[in-house]
Amino acid sequence: MTTGKLLRIAVAGLAMTFAVSMASAQALNSGAQTIALNANLTESLTLSLSASAVNFTLAAGSAANAGSTNITATTAWTLKPGRTAVGVYAYFVSAAAALTDGAGDNIPSSAFFISDNGGASTALTSTVAFGGANAGYQMANVAITGLNKTSSHTDVMAFNINLTGGTLPQLPANTYTGTLNIQAQATP
Amino acid sequence: MQTKLGAVAGLVLAAATFAVTSAVPAQAQVRNSGASPIALQAVLSDSISVNLSGNAVNFNLVGGSANNPGSTSITATTTWILKPSVGSLKLYAFFSSSTSALTDGAGNNIPSADFQLSDNAGAFTALTNTVPFGGANAGLQVSSTPILGNNKSGTRNDVMNFNINLAPLPNLPAGVYTGTLTIQAQAI
Repeated sequence: MTTGKLLRIAVAGLAMTFAVSMASAQALNSGAQTIALNANLTESLTLSLSASAVNFTLAAGSAANAGSTNITATTAWTLKPGRTAVGVYAYFVSAAAALTDGAGDNIPSSAFFISDNGGASTALTSTVAFGGANAGYQMANVAITGLNKTSSHTDVMAFNINLTGGTLPQLPANTYTGTLNIQAQATP
Repeated sequence: MQTKLGAVAGLVLAAATFAVTSAVPAQAQVRNSGASPIALQAVLSDSISVNLSGNAVNFNLVGGSANNPGSTSITATTTWILKPSVGSLKLYAFFSSSTSALTDGAGNNIPSADFQLSDNAGAFTALTNTVPFGGANAGLQVSSTPILGNNKSGTRNDVMNFNINLAPLPNLPAGVYTGTLTIQAQAI
């Protein structure tokens, strides 16, 4: 390689370096200004009912005394990491007196049945997260995974009162009232 | 005769001497020094600055909702003095990472694609572009100002509104998500 050739290569290299430095020098940047962002996704768990009253026309000693209407419970949630399940519960405050005539005559929770989403009718005889001892029923248990931290669940409830058990065939004629509660819980 | 000639010569010599000596004082009245140059250099440095009207934005998120506006707008005021060779001034908003623009620190992130910015009441646009600053696919060119002969020095305001779109993130768990949005200008 001749000296002239080396010189040409050196000059070309210098020219390229100069061009690059000039090109980069053309951009002028301001200082970086920052904005702190804080977004709060609050944990929530709600339950709403399609209706809030059910009537029963009772037949003495009958096992089948269906409620006047079904009620849909819609449970919606946005949960924190670590939650593994959402349970939906139906319960009375007292197992002995789910409904009462106020004169000492009661229909116990064991005679009150719920069919959830077309499933078998089940009496409210369990002790659940809410309500009285042996006065509840867990209708649903939704496992929480990474795919449903925010989601919803629907329970269509059909009701029945069974007047065949114990002394219930002797239940006196009257109006019996009570309050069934529906509530959801996310755990742990 | 020789005496006469000598007298005439003496007169001529005397006249010439007078003429010469009388002329010398006229030249001696102006005397110039050598010129001493002073090099003058006035530098008007090019500069860009960005000032923000605020440095924090809060969001109250609703799980799965597309509309989660920021608590306040922020005005970016860009001021510049530029060289004649500059063609345009651009303002950028960016995150350092496109995958975790905001994070709860527990592995749950809001990507820059779900963070939206509206400039001067324009359409909300996600930060999904690769710009001169920040992470790949984590930026947005907020504005571009052509630099002409009449605005080598100038200023402009960009009123920025923010929104977080959680529609693509229906399973984002509840939590507090924080991040840093950076605003920076570049002239080129």
